[in-house]
Amino acid sequence: MDARLRRVNKEIADCKNDKQSSVTIDLVDESPFHLIGSFDGPEGTPYEGGRFQVDIVIPDNYPFQPVKMKFITKVYHPNVSSASGAICLDILKDAWSPVLTLKSTLISLQSLLCSPEPRDPQDAEVAKHYMTSKSSFEDTARYWTMIYAGGPGKEGLGKGAKGGPRDEIAMAGLDRAHVAQFEALGFDRAKVIDVLRRLNYRGANVANINDDRVVEELLK
Amino acid sequence: MSSDYEISDDENYSYEEEEEEDEMEVEDYDDGSASEIEVDGIGDDFKVPGGSERKVYEVDYMSLSQPDVEKIMATDVNYISGIFGVEPAVAAQLLRHMNWNKEKLTDKYMDNASQVSVAAGVDLPPREPTPPPPKASSSRQSSTGPTRTARRSVAETSKTSKSTKRVASPAAGVQSFVCPICFDDSQTETMALMCEHRFCSSCWKEYITSKVRTEAECTITCMAEDCNIVALDPFVKKALTDDMETWERYQELLVRQFVSCIPHLKFCPYPSCTNTVSCVSAATKSSLLTMVPIVACSIPTHVFCFGCPIDADHRPVICAVAKMWLQKCRDDSETANWIKSNTKECSKCQSTIEKNGGCNHMTCKKCKYEFCWVCMGPWSEHGTSWYSCNRYDEKASVDARDAQARSRASLERYLHYYNRWANHEQSAKLSMELYAKTEKKMEEMQITSELTWIQVQFMKKAVDVVFKCRMTLKWTYAMAYYLSLGNEKELFEDNQRDLERAVEELSELIEAPIDPETIMALRQKVTDKTVYVQKRNEIMLEDTAKGYLDGRWSWNATVDGL
Repeated sequence: MDARLRRVNKEIADCKNDKQSSVTIDLVDESPFHLIGSFDGPEGTPYEGGRFQVDIVIPDNYPFQPVKMKFITKVYHPNVSSASGAICLDILKDAWSPVLTLKSTLISLQSLLCSPEPRDPQDAEVAKHYMTSKSSFEDTARYWTMIYAGGPGKEGLGKGAKGGPRDEIAMAGLDRAHVAQFEALGFDRAKVIDVLRRLNYRGANVANINDDRVVEELLK
Repeated sequence: MSSDYEISDDENYSYEEEEEEDEMEVEDYDDGSASEIEVDGIGDDFKVPGGSERKVYEVDYMSLSQPDVEKIMATDVNYISGIFGVEPAVAAQLLRHMNWNKEKLTDKYMDNASQVSVAAGVDLPPREPTPPPPKASSSRQSSTGPTRTARRSVAETSKTSKSTKRVASPAAGVQSFVCPICFDDSQTETMALMCEHRFCSSCWKEYITSKVRTEAECTITCMAEDCNIVALDPFVKKALTDDMETWERYQELLVRQFVSCIPHLKFCPYPSCTNTVSCVSAATKSSLLTMVPIVACSIPTHVFCFGCPIDADHRPVICAVAKMWLQKCRDDSETANWIKSNTKECSKCQSTIEKNGGCNHMTCKKCKYEFCWVCMGPWSEHGTSWYSCNRYDEKASVDARDAQARSRASLERYLHYYNRWANHEQSAKLSMELYAKTEKKMEEMQITSELTWIQVQFMKKAVDVVFKCRMTLKWTYAMAYYLSLGNEKELFEDNQRDLERAVEELSELIEAPIDPETIMALRQKVTDKTVYVQKRNEIMLEDTAKGYLDGRWSWNATVDGL
């Protein structure tokens, strides 16, 4: 049998048998080379309580080349692209070793959530946020965990949010001016926040979401 | 003594800056002095007086094949192996780790042999008294440090016997071995480096093949996580078994790594060429300010510059200026052309303005200055004759146009040089195309007329010379653009003009219709002209080369390294 297939099958089976760990690996379709991994957000972090899904692609010469992983769940983290889910982690690149497994790599991702490295960011905007105001960053990360990763509801949020809609803007990672700009066009604030968040709007950002696009979305 | 040894920053060592010039067995391959050979042999017709000696614009160099380089490497390895008393394979890895700087390696090794060996991956790190117990579960790992390596040490290392010591010993007869990589328990052949991280042979083979072929990596570390032990050559060879192709690629990578470490060696940049050129005189950055080290490997068409990444002859311009010029061309040419034909500058704030419709009453968006697009004068002076501009000589508009002209001058100047530069390139290409057609005709003529093969070769020679000289001319325009005004530049431009005129005349001759009646006369004319053009080219190159040595050229821009 093909060594790669045997290895991946064994890894999937091992992961199934391990009932203690929170890490799971599931098939997307028939192929064992395209998988979805998921794990719990680590305790004591803004990601606590969330469940994070990772897209896994097994390359042809796995395990001699690293697996390709990216977050499916939106994560607010300096080393994860908030737009694409791309991950900046050494073991997914040059520090990969063939003895690493899917499970151990997922566990590494979990520990990446514990210890962000803003000096080597994947997402510069998020990293800047982290560097300038850690507590505000954590509020946003917690908020994202809640809305995208099924994290604890409003009661968990209560601690951070000190008063109504004002903080909602900050926590969705948005700029007050941007929200005000579209509110001025006569849209409801909650709706503006919802749309901007969904589009990952950051003013003149790399994704180049222009005002028309936002308005179009708001009118839907 | 300056040296531009590129040191890959290796955390464990602090390299001193004052390092001795590398004495890489220069005598081994330096005495051959195979200076560039004039590509003639076509007869005495083209003999330029004093052709055999090295010209001032040429450089001493030597082409080495891969086995030649391997021989030099072996000399170093044996030397280190001898004085350190280690296996040649270990010596080779130590040298690779130290970027083939023998002196530095010797110093460091004598100072602290084990530290160097560990860093180079040829020895295990000293065992720490009691390593902290690895964390069992990872669900609650508080951030302990900023390192983002996978914190879990995967404890699936070898469970097999620890009896076999030393490199590459296939542990035969090990019972129930499950390879931690392929999870295959039917494998009997296993291999491990000195770290005893044991894996099955087929995984080793795949791993090394993947490293060598897809990552072009010649330093192959153990497959276990965070293990720094390097697979030495005998191990690699053994693991690859009968895969000679990968083994050869591995050897080539080793040679490349060596060549990239030695300042006076450079790999031929032409695709799939494995030759190396040694050029001692161009090994330092400062030497590149006074010479243009154009070399070729043993394949004569593989011409490249030893000093910079331009894989063509860029004489007479030195690397730094050539680079500056190419950058400028890339950045500016198209833009400059467009600006020139589509825009004007506001006569007050010099903003560049494109008129995209409407009337001639322009208002500068930046400074709000109002002016007339046609005469460039202030709009206020148009008085009552709105929308019609008939006052060419109004003082204000004359002034405005003068200012415009001044600001355009630098653009014009650049385009002057650029257009000529590009033109020579284009013409050179065209002459090659023309030659392809002519060649056919010449062959026919050889059959129909009395001319011998050697006698119809004059066309080829002429086209080659035209091509070569156009390349020289091309680069003289880059040089002239950056030369400061003065007598020297004037003399330079005189030489340039003479060469250009001669080249154009020869070009014209080549394009003349060929006809059996007049061929002998044409042959004579072309041959004479070719000799003359060659001579002019020589004068051009010689004069510039001497100018560098005498420090005669002064530049109107800051040149890197000056």
